[in-house]
Amino acid sequence: MPFDQALRFASIWLASTSFIGLTLGAGLPEWLAALTGAALIVALLRNRGGKSVERLATYAPISDVGWNLLVIVGFLGFWVDMLWVSGELLSAGIHFLMILMIIKLFNLKHRRDYLHLYAISLVAILASGSLTADLWYLPIFLLYLLAGVWTLLLFQLTKHPEETRMLATSVSIRPQPPASVNQVTPQLFWFANGLALATFGLTLVIFFTIPRVSAGFYQKGFGENIRTSGFSETVNLGEIGPIKRDPSVVMRVELSDGSPHETGRLYLRGVAFDQYDGKAWTNRLNYRRSVSEDATGTFVLRGSRSPAPDRLGETIRQTIVLEPLDTPVLFAAPLIERVSGKFPSIQSDLTGSVYLPFPSSSRIEYSVLSRSNPVLPADLGSEPSRYPESFVRHFLQIPAQPERIAILAKEITHAQRTTYDKANAIQSYLTHNFRYSLDAPLTEQDRPLEDFLFTRKTGYCEHYATAMVIMLRTIGVPARLVTGFLAAEWNEYGNYYVVRQQDAHAWVEVHLPHSGWITMDPTPPSIESIGGGSPAWHALGRMMDTIRLQWSRFFVQYSAADQLAVVRELKAGGTSARNKVFDSMTALFSPFMAMLGGIKEYASKETMLSLAEVLGPVLIGLAVFLWLGIKRPWVKGMTRKKTTYDQQIIAQLYRRMISHLARKGVPKLTAMPPLELVRLTQERWSDASSSVASITELYCRTRFGRIPPTREELALAEDHLRYLMALDKP
Amino acid sequence: MLRQSPSILQRLFRHRTTSVTSEGVQFLLFTLAIGIAAINTGNNLFYLLLGMMLSLILISGVVAEYSLRRLEFHRHLPYHLIVNEPTTATLVVKNRKSWLPSFSLKMFDVCDGHELDRGLEIRQLLPGASQLVSYPLVATRRGRLRLDGICVGTEFPFGLFMKRTFYPIEETLIVCPEIKPINESLLQGLVTAGPEQSVQRRGHGNDLYNLRLYQAGDDSRKIHWPTTARTSQLTVRETEAEDQHRAIVYLPTVAPATHDASFEQAVSLTASIIQHLARRGYILRLIVGSSHSSFGQGDLHLLELLPMLALCERRSPIAESVVPGELPRTSLELEEGAMIVVHSWLGSRDIEPEHPTILINGAVITGASHAV
Repeated sequence: MPFDQALRFASIWLASTSFIGLTLGAGLPEWLAALTGAALIVALLRNRGGKSVERLATYAPISDVGWNLLVIVGFLGFWVDMLWVSGELLSAGIHFLMILMIIKLFNLKHRRDYLHLYAISLVAILASGSLTADLWYLPIFLLYLLAGVWTLLLFQLTKHPEETRMLATSVSIRPQPPASVNQVTPQLFWFANGLALATFGLTLVIFFTIPRVSAGFYQKGFGENIRTSGFSETVNLGEIGPIKRDPSVVMRVELSDGSPHETGRLYLRGVAFDQYDGKAWTNRLNYRRSVSEDATGTFVLRGSRSPAPDRLGETIRQTIVLEPLDTPVLFAAPLIERVSGKFPSIQSDLTGSVYLPFPSSSRIEYSVLSRSNPVLPADLGSEPSRYPESFVRHFLQIPAQPERIAILAKEITHAQRTTYDKANAIQSYLTHNFRYSLDAPLTEQDRPLEDFLFTRKTGYCEHYATAMVIMLRTIGVPARLVTGFLAAEWNEYGNYYVVRQQDAHAWVEVHLPHSGWITMDPTPPSIESIGGGSPAWHALGRMMDTIRLQWSRFFVQYSAADQLAVVRELKAGGTSARNKVFDSMTALFSPFMAMLGGIKEYASKETMLSLAEVLGPVLIGLAVFLWLGIKRPWVKGMTRKKTTYDQQIIAQLYRRMISHLARKGVPKLTAMPPLELVRLTQERWSDASSSVASITELYCRTRFGRIPPTREELALAEDHLRYLMALDKP
Repeated sequence: MLRQSPSILQRLFRHRTTSVTSEGVQFLLFTLAIGIAAINTGNNLFYLLLGMMLSLILISGVVAEYSLRRLEFHRHLPYHLIVNEPTTATLVVKNRKSWLPSFSLKMFDVCDGHELDRGLEIRQLLPGASQLVSYPLVATRRGRLRLDGICVGTEFPFGLFMKRTFYPIEETLIVCPEIKPINESLLQGLVTAGPEQSVQRRGHGNDLYNLRLYQAGDDSRKIHWPTTARTSQLTVRETEAEDQHRAIVYLPTVAPATHDASFEQAVSLTASIIQHLARRGYILRLIVGSSHSSFGQGDLHLLELLPMLALCERRSPIAESVVPGELPRTSLELEEGAMIVVHSWLGSRDIEPEHPTILINGAVITGASHAV
């Protein structure tokens, strides 16, 4: 491909990449996205060639002055957009940027026009980086880098002829350079791609080592926070239902031992509610106090007291990456003891819920040490005890007229003696006699709980938990409703739980006299499958999620603190630093390693076949492209040696000539040298001999003499071949 | 002439210069802007873009360095030049790298520390390949022209910087004085003076010079048969030499500093005269100041005479206390031929520098002061 054409192609590619990045990040208006896309396609077609397109390209209905006027109109439009239409500087600026890109795409005449296009595309990719932090930015960035390297390279290579042409013609008549000088040769192709690869490697090095300022002066989050429900101070019954169909990821939870919880599920506690008015739950114990911070920067909630060894429950250390939510609640396994993270402060209320001072606008990461209360033997044999008045007011409160519910509760628990047994009986009753369904419009009911218990007998977690809490309270057992998430989706590639909106859950905390608050969950397992798809797609989805997490950790959230940690590690000693680097690299490549490690397991589960259905064609396609790129089977005869583009052309011409001669009865035998063929042609078909001799001479000179042909010579050889084709053999 | 690539140490300490192109300035400004944006916002994706732009700058320097390394230059030049007369010089550039091509090489002649842009450029030089480029070389001053070497620069790969390095190929050329067409008056003087002063002697001509008895070794074709028949003795015929045009051209080098331009004109005029006479078959002798050549004829002799004029220097009359135009008479007495003297200074009474004065056999050629 000639340099000029390659430069135009690379420039359009660069503009396209930045346009796609901006479209994905900013959500351009449809008309503007369509217009820009059309402009890019037209520019690409013009570059692609074809005489009709060239004719179209030369037909310019707008002069240079007209284009300049359009820019001025676009600038006025920018002000109108900023003041009245979108009302934002950034949005209006992006729209104006796209208008400028369209104008430049139609007006690529001079070298400065190309420079303007590059500047526009750079600002566009910058704007796209300011509007997103998603994983898709990575491939867009890589494509942009590759296009950028090619564009700059070709812009430089096409620079000099324009400048030196006048000088060269004025001082001497120069011989026509070989055509290959102005072509993208295979050497240049691989060289440019290698350069892009080296640039990417160096970019990573610079990215990780360039000193960071701890916080930007104008730092802001990306887009809107995820809207969730069930974690405010008042929650209507049935409010969680709608988000139970939302697969958005809200957090990822890593456990310290790197393996899933022994039960396979992990409760992530959010907020606890004490008051129920028959329709809504309210947390009256919502007075928040700041949590003190110890010397190591850890916030301690329950660490001051040291429980007796027999009171020690299961300890869970977890690291949570929380997406930006519209609630300040910090989620963790019950019950939180210590929290550490990059927060200025945290707060907690009397129910043990933990909050940030305000909802975070960006993704946050924190570590939590939780310890659940075990059921002590004392509670397995004791009668229900009496509670203080304040405790009764909050955790034994019941709404008015719950007679039917109280009767039901007594019926269920009349055979049970201890508090724990009673709670278990109610839980078992609800689990086994009711059906889980998200299609339960109980929010419109006057008495949704009674409707759930006695009429519909279907519902979801909120209904089950509410029913259990109220039933326990009617028989004098303190209980509270807790909302949070139930993590059940284990990502084997990254070794963490993926928690989605649809995992939002409500369960019950029952107070036992000696053990304290223990977690109980009356909700039966859901038989509804949310989201279809084969296991292979799910596996692929989990793998992508891991990559997304690593992208976020290592790129989006990389900070001065991380740099400081690396420096400290390096100072502390080579071994630990090496381990750290090894761990980081392992984390980066963990999805692939896990996939390789799990091949045997998947094969046994026959999931591998499904995965192969997805990955197989992709890998085969890649292999074929790689093979075609390396072998170039369409250039036969020249494959054993390094061939230039011109050598390939003349070899093709020669081959076509041989096949044509063979059709005309002048076959070239395998052992016949080229000049022998010329002699044979002279004998059998004298009219064609001059053309054959000319093409053969150029072929021999190029192939054996290693002298590249000039463009004129190639054109002449093509003419000879055309003449040969048109010639009739007597 | 052939200069091998220098050693590693030399390569390390070789002088490099880097200048920023206009595109490079724009690129650096954009990089600065993105850097400020990254610091202000703390956005890591801005840092990623900043890293990309910085790495492009670094890669640019490294690749340009490799592009300029391990090149070999071989320059072909004529033995001497003539002022203001273009000569073709050729330069063979070879890439001695084993796998990396060199791209966009721009070459400059370095002459007395100055870089001269000859418009030499090689777009792509594959590993192990060589390419020949030629360019017109024009000297503007007579004397020695010293070419220090080749400065080779490249804007490859991204056109952001122009990186240059110097390959020393020291070369000294002799630049002869400018040769101009001779005007009519002088031409007339030379035509009339030359033949009249020719001396009869033996030679390879057609006219009869002498008859003598045959001696062993004489050419049998020169036997004069009528005389031989008449005298019955083998007699050979000697002919008169055809190239009887002999001339001595004398350029006095004594002139005051005020007559420097006049002296240069005299040098150029002398060169023009000897070139004119040599082309007409004169046997020439050149005397420049105190140095003189032998008599000789033809182009080869001319090429010996011109460097004398190229390298001659004006001498101050105080230092030399020599009267201009004074010649060792013995040589004149011994040799016969036209005596052409080109004066740039006529003595202490010649205060105002004018054009050179030409004397042929002592007679001033009027109107011949201007060579052109």
